Amino acid sequence: MSDPNPDQRTADEVSVEAQQLLPQLVAHLREHRATLRDAWVGRIRDAHLLEAMTPQEMAAETTSVYDNYVEVLETGSVEALQHYARDLSERIIPRGVETHEVVGIVLLLRDVLARSLFEKYQGDVALLNHVLDAYEPAANRIANTVAVSFVDERERVIRQQQDAIRELSTPVLPVRERLLILPIIGVLDSERAKQLTVQLLGGIRTHRAKVVVIDITGAPDVDQTVANHLVQTVDASRLMGASVIITGLSPTIAQTLVTIGVDLSKMNTIGDLQGGLEEAERLLGYHVSRKEVTDGS
Amino acid sequence: MSSGPALVSILRQGDILVASVHTALDDAEMVRFQEDLVEQIGQYRARGVIIDVAALDVIDSFAANTLRSIADIARLRGAHTVIVGIQPDVAFAMVSLGMGLAGVTTALDLEEGLAHLAGIRAGTRSGPSGG
Amino acid sequence: MPEPPEGSHDVDVEALLPMLRRIVGARMGDHPSAEDVVQEAVARVLAAQDRIEPRTLEAYAIRTVRNVMASVWRRDDTDARNRHRTHDPSRPEDGEEIVVASEERSAMTEALARLSDRERELLLAHEVSGHSTKGLGEATGSSPGAVAAQLARTRARLRVEYLLVLEDVEPPTEQCRPVLLALSAADRRRQRELDAPRHLLECPTCARLSEPLLGRTLPRQDEVHVPISGDPDIVAARQAARELAADAGVTGTDLTMLATAVSEVARNIVRFAGNGEVTIELVERPRAGIRVVARDTGPGIPDVDEALRDGFSTYNGLGLGLPGARRLMDEFAVESVSGHGTTVTMTKWFERKA
Repeated sequence: MSDPNPDQRTADEVSVEAQQLLPQLVAHLREHRATLRDAWVGRIRDAHLLEAMTPQEMAAETTSVYDNYVEVLETGSVEALQHYARDLSERIIPRGVETHEVVGIVLLLRDVLARSLFEKYQGDVALLNHVLDAYEPAANRIANTVAVSFVDERERVIRQQQDAIRELSTPVLPVRERLLILPIIGVLDSERAKQLTVQLLGGIRTHRAKVVVIDITGAPDVDQTVANHLVQTVDASRLMGASVIITGLSPTIAQTLVTIGVDLSKMNTIGDLQGGLEEAERLLGYHVSRKEVTDGS
Repeated sequence: MSSGPALVSILRQGDILVASVHTALDDAEMVRFQEDLVEQIGQYRARGVIIDVAALDVIDSFAANTLRSIADIARLRGAHTVIVGIQPDVAFAMVSLGMGLAGVTTALDLEEGLAHLAGIRAGTRSGPSGG
Repeated sequence: MPEPPEGSHDVDVEALLPMLRRIVGARMGDHPSAEDVVQEAVARVLAAQDRIEPRTLEAYAIRTVRNVMASVWRRDDTDARNRHRTHDPSRPEDGEEIVVASEERSAMTEALARLSDRERELLLAHEVSGHSTKGLGEATGSSPGAVAAQLARTRARLRVEYLLVLEDVEPPTEQCRPVLLALSAADRRRQRELDAPRHLLECPTCARLSEPLLGRTLPRQDEVHVPISGDPDIVAARQAARELAADAGVTGTDLTMLATAVSEVARNIVRFAGNGEVTIELVERPRAGIRVVARDTGPGIPDVDEALRDGFSTYNGLGLGLPGARRLMDEFAVESVSGHGTTVTMTKWFERKA
């Protein structure tokens, strides 16, 4: 990190002088806008950042970022930049742009501009110091703003996606009349297990289901709590008049169920989904092509 | 019989009794309901009993035990009982409470309950229209 | 609607009328609602007649008329507290004086005599001579706020002493006065410290005395008390819980789970204790939720751990509804003192939306 206060003066004195220097600095950056922006884009390309963007997009976005950047230096207000950064993030996040890329390009711009200031003022070291004193805190603030905006936006998107996945991952699928499939995918916590059960019970009523196949092939961890929920789901479905067939029960999960005292013989478990569906059709009274072996349980 | 709006109605369709609970019952009313229903099962030599509990927003341990004992007594008298209309939220609360009504037949609604009894009568568990 | 009953019962209830008028007259004097209170009480007694043993009819009637009076006071109190909005200077500035206003002079004199000299002087200086709290504060070297607090405490004491004189009772236990005082002062923190609800369950004297005082604390939107003594109260308790929770935004499965749990603990009171109450309140800390407290004055549970134990998904155990209720709620605690009764405290947290 650079030291913003290289000599003995107080921070207040520095900032007063810095304020006076900023307009001069902004004028310089505006004057050399085209060259500096190109230099920046070159550095971005060398660093293999933002490769998801087309050259046109790159040109448009970098120009906007550059202008916003200079504007913050001029006005001291990050509000406009914040908006722009959110906006930009929203556009580039779906294309897989990562946090390090966004922080990277802003830091590159900071360096490109700092270097240009260095070249301009290198004849007068004292003045150069003052200019950098003015520039660096502002530049850091900009980098910070952009990074935070991006991360905020990214988190928002992730939350949204999680909600969507949550919805998607507990779909109650009506396969055919009176038959629902509930494939359980992903990690089940207690809250999700409850949500899933409530959703299933609602689905049983809506679709007037008589048979439900719960396929847990896609659920990696079934601990005791989740196993309890599974049993409750079976019981609650039965209270609504629907039989439950559980498929994809791994030996480990079966062991967990036995451990908590579930009588597996009372649960209808079938090895795989296909077998489960055949059993379901049998329960529903449809006759699968094979000749039936009567069993009147 | 008590006056005022009926808490429960019991209708007879052939040898099937259809009992509908219309409102929340307290324990004493629940017991009274059990007595009335059991009496009518004997009186009409019912072969099937449907209890519609769709109007109940809570089925607690007492209500669940009463339903279960009605089914047990009915079975001893040769009648098969089907509980119908348990609401999704109620079903969830019941199993959380630990009252799964194991051993008692349940169905989605009255229609399903009747179909189930018809299936038993036909001596097969497969669907009504003989698929 | 309750139908008017027939036969000899009418005579019984009618015979109660003079007594009811006497009770109401003594408490309410020429309060404009006095006769309405009598009639309302009679109507309630008639409606409940079938459920009541004839020999307990009188006691029931007394209790009913007191309840009705309490609700009138409650209403008056609320009115009086809102009175300043319409600015009627002829009325006392707050509800404190409502109970006081219709008192028998002698009881009041006696009650005043029971205060300490300092309390009495302060009260009289403020209420009778009309000195402001500011002036009184300056005279005694304390702040107006301190004087106001002192006045409030004194009024609370005065109300308690007045009731004790009027009813001509000596508090049967050490606990009585502090509890009545906390109720009179509407001091919820103190009430909790003293476990006032439990004391009211256990002490019939205070239960009776506290009715006009309870009116001072009750009008809260986020709390419901349901007295439990019979089967219908179980249904009433769970419906009250459901309503309060629904108003607070709880929906669906959680509502049903809550109502079911309340049903179980209320039934325990009816089955094993006979008498108690269920309190349902909204809580904010440590997070938003709904809390149910079921208190009874029964024999107590000898082995709480045993009562809470059961297998999964089977309903065995001791036949108490406790294990099931526990599974329906998020927090669950049982406190039981042999010979004194049981308190079940259970909480359901509200779901947080992301």
